[in-house]
Amino acid sequence: MSADPYNARVRECFTAPAHAGDLAGGVTVLADDQGVRVMLSASVADGRITALRFRAWGCPHLIAAVEWVCSYYEGEPLQALEKFPVARIMEDLAVPIEKTGRILVVEDAIQSLGRSLNH
Amino acid sequence: MAAQMIYLDYAASTPVDSRVLDRMREVAEKNCANPSSTHAAGREAQALIATAATQLGNLLSVDPATLVWTSGATESDNLAIAGGARYRAHRGKHIVTMKTEHKAVTDVFETLAREGFDVTWVDAEPDGRLNPATFAAALRDDTQFASIMFVNNETGVIQDIEALGQICREHDVLFHVDGAQAVGKLPIDLGRLPVDLLSLTGHKFYGPKGIGALYIADRAGCHVEPILFGGGQQRRLRPGTLPTSLVSGLGMAADVAAASIASDLEHLRGLRQILWEGIRDIEGVMLNGDPDGFPGILNVSVEDIEGESLLLALEPLLVATGSACNSKTQEPSYVLRALGLSDAQAQSAIRFSMGRPTTRGEVEFAARHYRSAVARLRDLAPQAAA
Repeated sequence: MSADPYNARVRECFTAPAHAGDLAGGVTVLADDQGVRVMLSASVADGRITALRFRAWGCPHLIAAVEWVCSYYEGEPLQALEKFPVARIMEDLAVPIEKTGRILVVEDAIQSLGRSLNH
Repeated sequence: MAAQMIYLDYAASTPVDSRVLDRMREVAEKNCANPSSTHAAGREAQALIATAATQLGNLLSVDPATLVWTSGATESDNLAIAGGARYRAHRGKHIVTMKTEHKAVTDVFETLAREGFDVTWVDAEPDGRLNPATFAAALRDDTQFASIMFVNNETGVIQDIEALGQICREHDVLFHVDGAQAVGKLPIDLGRLPVDLLSLTGHKFYGPKGIGALYIADRAGCHVEPILFGGGQQRRLRPGTLPTSLVSGLGMAADVAAASIASDLEHLRGLRQILWEGIRDIEGVMLNGDPDGFPGILNVSVEDIEGESLLLALEPLLVATGSACNSKTQEPSYVLRALGLSDAQAQSAIRFSMGRPTTRGEVEFAARHYRSAVARLRDLAPQAAA
């Protein structure tokens, strides 16, 4: 039997993404590259990210990565957006190496969000 | 296979019919001899092979002596194309096929091109069918070989084999048909059709994997050179010890098919209609290929949906994607691209293929689940918020 291309974490994030949707009144950014699209919406209070939501168009690994990222940054201080845990995402979601570019689009979205929130 | 899965991938492979299994078990238990052996048990094995050839010959309306056993359609295609083109190479090295053929055909043509053959790849119409006039125009004075598939494995499109074969006869071109998706599923009368070579495999029509056959018409100028060497079996065309139980299983599958084709087709037409009617009003959905193609296959694309995500969202449906089934490349199907689909359209393509055991309830669920999956992915996409 050939290996399942998706591990349990990808299946969980893809099937039931807790952070899918929009935030009314939040700051929204869009990253569009590598044939995928990622939109992030964030609300902030007292220098912390209180809520993070996403919309995405792409493969299951991309959608899982965006859900993963939303869980990771929610509740964190804004400064946390300056670092992007690409290696952890690649490992936790067992992202095939050829899909690295798509994960970097998620990083673009996070960086864009950081710039928007710091303005 | 997990019990909760719904198998809709019958174009990839079919379950072995219980009558076929019974026959294979019976043969395997009672005869272990090599059919080439001259002792009594060997002669008995040879008789079992002959019985299977008669069963398959009856299905195709041909003399059993015109059938060569192989390991499956890929080997049959290789033997027919490489063997046929090389056999006629002294008369000309121009060979013709379609862009929408299976890899088991296209890869052999590419190999022959590297050997010095001149290949013409003819285009399909947007509905996947080959216009006989287009085919005729591709033939030249030095054309010696052509290969066109009966039923396309991705779209179910049925080619006009009678018209294409007639053109080949008029031009004295050896005509091969990849019948992997047609044999046992459509009525085929090779006593009437102008076909020189026809490939088939057992596991596409409820027979075992690992066994197939090549029909070689008994007429002047119709022959192939062997591509395997090592023994004198099967008139030296395909040496190797014949697997008696597999051959017997294929023979039984042919018997079962001969009695079931009409009712199978009626069953599949009903299922395909239920499935298509259940999804055709989805915005941006399109049927790929000819609506009047083989009813066991429904290939659809949908706008603004990423194919890999759609495939995962469709679980527990076991269907095929329009991509090359290669997670590393996710290349869109070359067959669908050849019909004029964009990369995005081809990448979102899903092939539903149904079979004898498929139920109305399964295709009704499939339609509802496809609708739900498309809606969920669209809701997840950024443009939904705009």
